[in-house]
Amino acid sequence: MEFTEHRAYQPGDELRYLDWRILGRSDRLFVKQFEEETNLRAMILVDASRSMAWQGTPERLTKRAYADRLAAALALILLRQRDATGLVTFDEQVRQVIPARVKAGQWTRVVRGLLDTPDGQGTAAHAALQRLTALLTRRGMVVLLSDLLFDRELALAALRYLRHRGHQVIVFHLMDPAEVELSGPPEVRFKDPESALSVVVRPRELARAYADTVRREIAAWRKACRRHGIAYHHVQTDLPFGLALRLLT
Amino acid sequence: MSFIHPLALLGLAAAAIPALLHLLQRRIPPEIDFPPVRYLSAAERESARRLKLRHLLLLILRTALIVAIVLAAARPLVPLRGGGAHQPTAAVVILDNSPSSGAIVDGGLVLDRLRVAARSAVGRTTSADRVWLMLCDGVLRGGSREALLATIDSTRAGWQRLDLVQAVERAARIVNAQPLPGREVQVLSDLQSTALASGRADVPSGVRVLALAPGRAVANRGITAVTVSEGAAVIELSGSMVGVAGTPQPVPVTIRIGGGHRDRGEIAARGLATPGSDRSGGATRSVVTVSLPAQSLAPGWWVGEAALEPDELRADDRRPFAWRVAPPARVMATSSAGSFVAAALAVLQDGQRIVDGRDVVISGGEAPAGSHAIVQPPVDPALVGQANRALASRGVPWRWGQLDTPGVLTSPELTVLNGVPVVRRYRIEGAGSGEPGAGGVLATVNGEPWLVRSGGVVLLGSRLDTAWTALPAAPGFVPFVDALVNRIVMGEAEVAAAEGAPRVEFRTRGTDTVGATVFGPDPRESDLTPATPVLATAALGGKDRTAVLTADRFASELFSGTRRADASGLLLVLALLLAAAELGVATRTR
Repeated sequence: MEFTEHRAYQPGDELRYLDWRILGRSDRLFVKQFEEETNLRAMILVDASRSMAWQGTPERLTKRAYADRLAAALALILLRQRDATGLVTFDEQVRQVIPARVKAGQWTRVVRGLLDTPDGQGTAAHAALQRLTALLTRRGMVVLLSDLLFDRELALAALRYLRHRGHQVIVFHLMDPAEVELSGPPEVRFKDPESALSVVVRPRELARAYADTVRREIAAWRKACRRHGIAYHHVQTDLPFGLALRLLT
Repeated sequence: MSFIHPLALLGLAAAAIPALLHLLQRRIPPEIDFPPVRYLSAAERESARRLKLRHLLLLILRTALIVAIVLAAARPLVPLRGGGAHQPTAAVVILDNSPSSGAIVDGGLVLDRLRVAARSAVGRTTSADRVWLMLCDGVLRGGSREALLATIDSTRAGWQRLDLVQAVERAARIVNAQPLPGREVQVLSDLQSTALASGRADVPSGVRVLALAPGRAVANRGITAVTVSEGAAVIELSGSMVGVAGTPQPVPVTIRIGGGHRDRGEIAARGLATPGSDRSGGATRSVVTVSLPAQSLAPGWWVGEAALEPDELRADDRRPFAWRVAPPARVMATSSAGSFVAAALAVLQDGQRIVDGRDVVISGGEAPAGSHAIVQPPVDPALVGQANRALASRGVPWRWGQLDTPGVLTSPELTVLNGVPVVRRYRIEGAGSGEPGAGGVLATVNGEPWLVRSGGVVLLGSRLDTAWTALPAAPGFVPFVDALVNRIVMGEAEVAAAEGAPRVEFRTRGTDTVGATVFGPDPRESDLTPATPVLATAALGGKDRTAVLTADRFASELFSGTRRADASGLLLVLALLLAAAELGVATRTR
């Protein structure tokens, strides 16, 4: 049991939790509240870079919105299991850090943390990931929700470090279906929202080659994660949340 | 290549449309945010080469498609080999039905093979063509296709030799003069090497000469000529001895005498000729002499026939001949005739060639006496005028003129005179034209008359004396005097030879028979050796204009110079294929 805070005494509270020192000093009744020790400390990392704020069609959620909802749902599940759950949002910098707690109101804090994190501008998310490793000192579960559009080797180095520190690392690779199947006008200039990189293509001509490339990229991530004991899940944003969450079981 | 609708070719400018569209389509494309551009770039890098090739292929296919459609609309006419219609053509079909075409080769008549090819050639002509048929007589026969086919069908081996070089040259000139797109000479001949020996045909550019390659060479032997002299028939043989190896075998020759226009019964004799004594190229020549029972033959003209055993070419296996058996002339020489004449007459008398008499009188300037007179100029120049008057009174249109320059004798009829020098002579001047040929000028010196005949009078420009001419000292003097008294003064001509169906025709003057012409095939027809393709090509115009072709090639090459076919259908099929290919490439995403 770990002390967490005081609250006013209410009839029915056990007297053994009464804080006698406060009673002696101020003649007011407060009882001590304690946080129970849990088996799991979960930290949810949400990629808030600009590429996450993209949706293939207006009817679908952006990857960021999908990640937020998934993170909230996951946090709720974990908290209900009395697992300490925290949140880190990042783009090229760490934007929000909510330490893993199990106390009441933690979920609200997690959700607020998500809501308070704007869509980022940065691109070098792997740098933020590396900084995060210093924050996660106590071993636990790390869940990364990202589109993984950053340097794979650098990102893997950070994840590998987490794994080395004893964390259980789970990666949710979020992609919009439009990112898997290339489509669009006969000729179009596709521009990376995070950089100046752009390319003019005829989607119909390049669709197969693009799909192959995406398939290879996913396979490469999956293979690399498996090699380092990292759980990898490819999730498209049209996948129901329940199915996405079931991947964790 | 030509086009039925050439204006449609303007549409070829449309071939630039795909390239133009490609350039015009390079507008600014819409810009869309797309986070995984890095995947896109990688995919594009990997597919760049394939895409570039695909774009190039599409450009080529689309351009080719437009070109094919435009060309099809222009209706191109392309040259064709075999089949297809040809443009109007002027053509001469030379069907060589010379005697050699009657040879049997591989069991078939050469002419039949040539006729089949000729029928094929004429049968493929159209009403727009101008076609002539030339046979061995060299006559160009025009007319409808049906008429020409009928002529070809009725053609038999003729008796005239065809000089192919001249025939092709003439045919080429004819077709070249025609304002038609095509000009062709089609030669259907056995291509005897002897028919191509007269040089090279001058064929104008634009005229094609197609010659049918000759068939297999066969051996043949024919009678070239038959002459009768001194109681013997001299038979000349010639021919091609292809494939005859080893020692030449004697050739039996049969002589039959009689059956002429003065039927005297038939006399037969046989002799053997050994061929190969004179070989020239593929041809051989030989001579056989068969004795004739001349003494038993009555005076007059006789007709005979020499025959060989049948071989591949029958036309030259038999040849008629004619000669005259004459009684010895009754000759008298006056004292002024000179000692050389008297000596020659003595020799002839010893040989029973002449007898004493006054039928023929040889004088030296006196007035001609008797029915036949041989007159030399007088020794004394002062008597020339008197002698001229005597000749005039006899009705002789010739007279002696001034002494003229020395020279050398020339005579096509009396070969013994050729080359004999004359140092002194009177110019013989004609008061009239005289008789041509046998009755006219018989020998000349420096192109001027030296020996002439008018009626029964023969006039000499020099005396037969060594002071005037070397003739009396020449070996041919006695034969000359013999011919003079026995034949020339009688107005008798030598037997002439002519080309034609074997027969003998006699020449008459009044009621007298004064000569004969023996007809037969040209001796060169006996040599069946075919010319090599190289030689034939060179002789018939050169390899840039002439082709010697096998029967199949010949048939396919006929009119091929102008044969055209509308290729629009083919182009439309090609356009369809191109369109299908374009569709396949364009819809293929990988």
